[in-house]
Amino acid sequence: MTLTAETFDFVAALVRRNSAIQLERGKEYLVESRLAPLARSAGAADVDAYVRSMRADVTKHDIVVEALTTNETSWFRDLNPFTVLRTTVFPDLKARNKNSVRIWSAACSTGQEAYSIAMIIADNFPSVQANIVATDLADGVLVKGRSGRYTQLEINRGLPAPMLVKHFERQGPSFEISSQLRSQVVFRKHNLLDSPPAGGPFDIVFLRNVLIYFDVATKREVLKRIQGAMTPGGYLFLGAAETTIGVDESWERIQVGSSSVYRPRGKRV
Amino acid sequence: MTIPATWEPLSDADSVLTIAQDLFSTMIDGEPGHLYPWMGERPTLEDPRFTWVDVAGSVATRVMLMAGRATGEQLTRSLLAMEESEPVSDADFADAVGEIANVVGGNVKSLVTNPGALTLPVVTHEEPDMSKDFCLLETYFGWRGAPLGVALWALTP
Amino acid sequence: MKALVIDDSRVMRKIVSNVLVGVGFECIEAENGQVALDQLEAHSDVVLCCIDWNMPVMTGFEFVVAARKRPEWRNVTLMMVTTEGEQDQIVRALAAGAHEYVLKPFTPEVIIAKLQFLGLVDLKEMA
Repeated sequence: MTLTAETFDFVAALVRRNSAIQLERGKEYLVESRLAPLARSAGAADVDAYVRSMRADVTKHDIVVEALTTNETSWFRDLNPFTVLRTTVFPDLKARNKNSVRIWSAACSTGQEAYSIAMIIADNFPSVQANIVATDLADGVLVKGRSGRYTQLEINRGLPAPMLVKHFERQGPSFEISSQLRSQVVFRKHNLLDSPPAGGPFDIVFLRNVLIYFDVATKREVLKRIQGAMTPGGYLFLGAAETTIGVDESWERIQVGSSSVYRPRGKRV
Repeated sequence: MTIPATWEPLSDADSVLTIAQDLFSTMIDGEPGHLYPWMGERPTLEDPRFTWVDVAGSVATRVMLMAGRATGEQLTRSLLAMEESEPVSDADFADAVGEIANVVGGNVKSLVTNPGALTLPVVTHEEPDMSKDFCLLETYFGWRGAPLGVALWALTP
Repeated sequence: MKALVIDDSRVMRKIVSNVLVGVGFECIEAENGQVALDQLEAHSDVVLCCIDWNMPVMTGFEFVVAARKRPEWRNVTLMMVTTEGEQDQIVRALAAGAHEYVLKPFTPEVIIAKLQFLGLVDLKEMA
């Protein structure tokens, strides 16, 4: 089943207008798979028919954008950044007598990343006060993140069992994170192209698997704004396949084992 | 008999649909979208097979799957990654459909308070006599066009 | 690396084995806890057990309790793979010595992510 060029172009334009995410040719499969469930619920014959039926209805545009901009998410995704937090970043912050740390989880989706960070801190650095701001474009994921409730399938993905029993409680078919950890994360609607969200300046920023969707000029813009919202000794985490090299030379890359973490160049406390 | 309080969360078919869809999308089809609520009248099953697990408790409850033999064979083939042409033995059939009942039953059990132990799955050709028991829920799904039933029965001791 | 897959369902043993073989394990099987103990006696190079809970003869929980009594098996990772999903069951299994807990149904990624967290599978090897 292939999409018509017309359908793809319309969806790509819609998504680009509302999120700066670029869907290039070759990403038809993504549009197909993300919109198929919507098409099915709407009773449309296929994605082409669904898009044809909703293009004139502005109230339906948001859900299409949301379906295309949500990331596949899991707990402790890629693992390494969280290890780096534990072995390198927090010991450094502690050595600098930082007992109150501000963290930004950008493009947070349903909140697993933000809560994963909260769990690392609670389990390893209980005396540190963590203030985590989690932002995303889409309202639906923010509501879910705030609820701290996840399905069995979602809880299965990447969450170690000892952390499950320590930080979550089963509520019927769902698992809910403890109110203590839930209170450490504030979810806010935010577009990366806008000025950074309140809650900064941030000591740690997670911006993972988002830059890949942007063109180079937008990448630079976003990275510049983020650096402006960070403390001088701050740490930036990108996705495993991403880097600032070749995009923005104002970051220093530090290797920790097989991962990289980025710090504003030349600025230290 | 009214629905025992501990089984209230299952008085509507949505929870069972979610459980079934999660199972099928992860372990049978490899992607979502192939299992959906059955539309229309209660379907007839061709050469039906009945598979169940029982949950012990203050009221013992039976979680039963109903499927035609051909559908059960398809499920077995999917789970055991068998070729279309390979024959499905009774043992394979019982094992595969039994495991589906085990997973559905186990997840259904997790939704209620203070459930007891889950029995091992039973697969039969004859419809069990449930005339003395109370049906809490009977719902049907379509899987690749074929009907599949799930029923929850409160068992009279 | 050798793994022992313990489940009374042949279907489930096959599914779990396939996942483990895909990340470099050699798999042996057992259809209940007692056979599993026998297998551990016979194969001293098992590093991981994937264990169902409800089985005839000896349950997975009983197997965990028995296995943890043996100092020579201290370093064997014990991962439950089961439909038993109540909070109490998970707590009990971990308290008895299981290291990890996978709820059925699961995707291959679920098991692989847990193996990575346990250090049994290296992320880099996946590339």
